[in-house]
Amino acid sequence: MDQTNEQPNPQQDDQLADFVDQVIKGRMKISASNPTDDLSSLEETVLRLNSSFPQDPLDEASIKQMHVRLKSRIRREEQSVKPSFWKKWFGVEITPQLGLAFAALAVVVVVLVSSPSFTTSGSTITGTASTPVNLFVAAGLAGVFFVLYWFTRRK
Amino acid sequence: MLYSIKATDPFSTLSTTQYMENITNPILQDSTDELLIQHFKDGRKEAFDLLYYRHLPKVYKRVRYVVPENDVEDVTQEIFIAALNSIPSFRGDAKFSTWLRTLTNHKVAEFYRKRTRKQEPPISPLSDASMHTIGSTSKTLEERVYLQRALQSLPENYKEIILLRFAEDMQFNEIAEMTNQNLEATKSLFRRAIAALRTHLEK
Repeated sequence: MDQTNEQPNPQQDDQLADFVDQVIKGRMKISASNPTDDLSSLEETVLRLNSSFPQDPLDEASIKQMHVRLKSRIRREEQSVKPSFWKKWFGVEITPQLGLAFAALAVVVVVLVSSPSFTTSGSTITGTASTPVNLFVAAGLAGVFFVLYWFTRRK
Repeated sequence: MLYSIKATDPFSTLSTTQYMENITNPILQDSTDELLIQHFKDGRKEAFDLLYYRHLPKVYKRVRYVVPENDVEDVTQEIFIAALNSIPSFRGDAKFSTWLRTLTNHKVAEFYRKRTRKQEPPISPLSDASMHTIGSTSKTLEERVYLQRALQSLPENYKEIILLRFAEDMQFNEIAEMTNQNLEATKSLFRRAIAALRTHLEK
């Protein structure tokens, strides 16, 4: 980048700003500065920018046509959206909040199922033997929840 | 989530005058953007039509400065679809126009990300220019593509001030007020932005 342009130059700032105002109003078609001045090349850039992009506003007919096309597209996209698994079977759309609630529920289930007090026999032998099995069940449940959530979440 | 639109679109059968009368519903016409958003949230879906009518010209013009001619309407549609879907969560912390401007910038950035992912050339002057010659000469369109490419290469603050002045026709004092800068700093930033643009165009 041209480092000279990074230098403060309030006079040039004002001159260029005034020039732009005139150009946008259509009152200036050529550079106002001496061609040897640095400001002149900036003015040329402003003129290029202004002449290359149409300044006339959108007419009402174009706005209407664009609005109709937008509505058609919305309708098309709406029809092409497949209802999710949850919506189809339970009539409920899974929002991120609901998804989080399901995840929290899954964690609670895991904790409950894997806790030693879950086995009610009181036998240490039974408890010791069943804990790994419970853990497998809990991990499996959590896995199922996760897979279900992953495949049914909204894209 | 997309909001339901009636299967038969009433607007498609109206003349332009009827359409304008419909869209400039006197009850809604004088409402501020924020009030229209509230109407929309309350279930008056036609409020969005008025927001669209009000903001389309500026959004379209801004997109036109940074996106190839072929894709301008498509990107503009995506901006308004995103707005339609996000309005329910619009809290009014910023003005709607500011919010929509941010959304526009995101959608334009997304357009270029997708384009890069598809490994299409960033902007190819001849192909884009040669496809649209109605109303503009191909030379003007080619020049536009060069300018778009140069604009896209600028730092965000430089690009933004150029777009605010040219595409949105905001005065320097309005830009200064909006960006919480003083007028001198705003004009200085504009000059540096134009200088950077010139440098890119000379490359």
